[in-house]
Amino acid sequence: MDRSLASGPLVWLGIILTTCLLLVFFQTMLWLVLPLLLAVVSYYLLSPLVNMAMARGLTRERAVFIVTVLLTIFLAAEGFIIVPKIASASHNWQDKLADYGRTGEDLVMKAKQSVSKYFPFLHPPESQTGGMGVGRIGFVESGATPTPSSNNELENQVENLPAKYSGEIAMEALRWVPSLLLVPYMTYFFLLDGPRFKRFLVRAIPNAFFEKTLYLFYRVEDQMRRYFRGLLSLTALDAVCLGVGLWFLGLEAPFFLASLAAVMAWLPYLGSIAGGLLVVLVAAHDAPNQPWLPYEVVGLFIAVRMLDDFVFMPLTIGRSLRMHPLVTVLMILLGGAVAGISGLLLVMPVLGVVMVAGQIIGELVTDERVLARYRHARHLRQLRAKADL
Amino acid sequence: MFFGQKRAPNTRLDLLKSVVLFKDLPMRDVAMVDSLMHERRYLADEVIFDEGEEGQGLFVVLSGRVKIVRHGQVPETLLEFGPGSFFGEVALLDQCVRTAQARAVEDAHIVALFRAEFYSLLETHSAIASRISFQLARVLAARLRQAITSRDQHI
Repeated sequence: MDRSLASGPLVWLGIILTTCLLLVFFQTMLWLVLPLLLAVVSYYLLSPLVNMAMARGLTRERAVFIVTVLLTIFLAAEGFIIVPKIASASHNWQDKLADYGRTGEDLVMKAKQSVSKYFPFLHPPESQTGGMGVGRIGFVESGATPTPSSNNELENQVENLPAKYSGEIAMEALRWVPSLLLVPYMTYFFLLDGPRFKRFLVRAIPNAFFEKTLYLFYRVEDQMRRYFRGLLSLTALDAVCLGVGLWFLGLEAPFFLASLAAVMAWLPYLGSIAGGLLVVLVAAHDAPNQPWLPYEVVGLFIAVRMLDDFVFMPLTIGRSLRMHPLVTVLMILLGGAVAGISGLLLVMPVLGVVMVAGQIIGELVTDERVLARYRHARHLRQLRAKADL
Repeated sequence: MFFGQKRAPNTRLDLLKSVVLFKDLPMRDVAMVDSLMHERRYLADEVIFDEGEEGQGLFVVLSGRVKIVRHGQVPETLLEFGPGSFFGEVALLDQCVRTAQARAVEDAHIVALFRAEFYSLLETHSAIASRISFQLARVLAARLRQAITSRDQHI
């Protein structure tokens, strides 16, 4: 059959529509989809270890058990190291947050000062700002007249920000705990019963579609493995580039900050912005005597983002999905438009799976020979069923 | 398994052990290979794979009979396989199209070992996979010799 027919515009339209529908559906059950996604990532990270253990003569059950126990011990040890540090730091984290809030406010003020100094034509005339000149408030809304009291209000809001939102943040984090506890549980069973479950599913496939559908399974699995490995490569590349840049700029703990920002970038666009803001705030807070440092950090982030979006991502994730870079970028935008943040996060893995499934289903339903074989086999079964009637 | 305790009879494993590809493997390894195989049942006259399709792996006949047919101007039966024999083995090594059609002569119970699973076996149990590969190479060499001999006889 002509394979180009299978991946024609109609099939691609179906792939894009299915991806959008799935993203909307997944958005409603993010509590289940997110742990499932994390479990799949863990599965692809841990399966080489299970394979290594099996290559040394262990059964799958023992290999999975040992890998899971080792992982638990590792996480527990990390917990024992990190939790006391967090606990000791927790008594002043609200103060720290307020500090960072004030730093952010100062940063905005300084930015405005710089803008008025170097680009005076962008600064509103003094008559419109109530004769304040360069006020404490950064970018005043049109029509509002800033006064010293409004400055105080803003300062108070910044001071009260941690106290106001800390409860909500804690509740939101607690809401996710049961879902996240599912991750190791799911990972264990993916590792243990993955192959058995696959064979169970394959049994339901009619003989005529057997080889082709099994090929679909392998390609979907390969696609997912490539995607998650691509994602990890991308994170590592981001972390190294940002870390080296921050180290050159003289920030403390550059690679920790860079890794944090790189992991936050798993959430396309929004995660990158949040990660960037975090590092800029840290730079402004820790180096108050270097007024240009936050801008240098912003410059670094923009440079790495450009590198990431136009070079690293098409080379890692885009290539792992064998997808054109333009399609990658357009689908990310579409995912965000259709399902918001969850859409941005899930669009690439969902598209990868739907793309392979769509292409193979396209091949199957347009392959008259395979359909004829299916009808022939069904006819034989019907004849057998009616034999003694 | 405890000392002195006899292994419970398992016809399927015993039959797999009798297949030339797996004859050098201990029963434990045969069970390992069996855990990677997909089981299928075909009715008499049902097509197992078709000429020109992309092959994914080899098939082992557990029961029944299977014929390999090439559809030229007149359909020609090339080979027939019974229990304990296998066919479609080239697809285990290479992503290639099937050169003939496989069709069940009578109701057949078949297991299939696919390339992706064979590759994973190469990674996880390289000793088992290399023994299978060695036997496969011997079978292919024998078939090549047979084909050359038969061509020479024709000439």
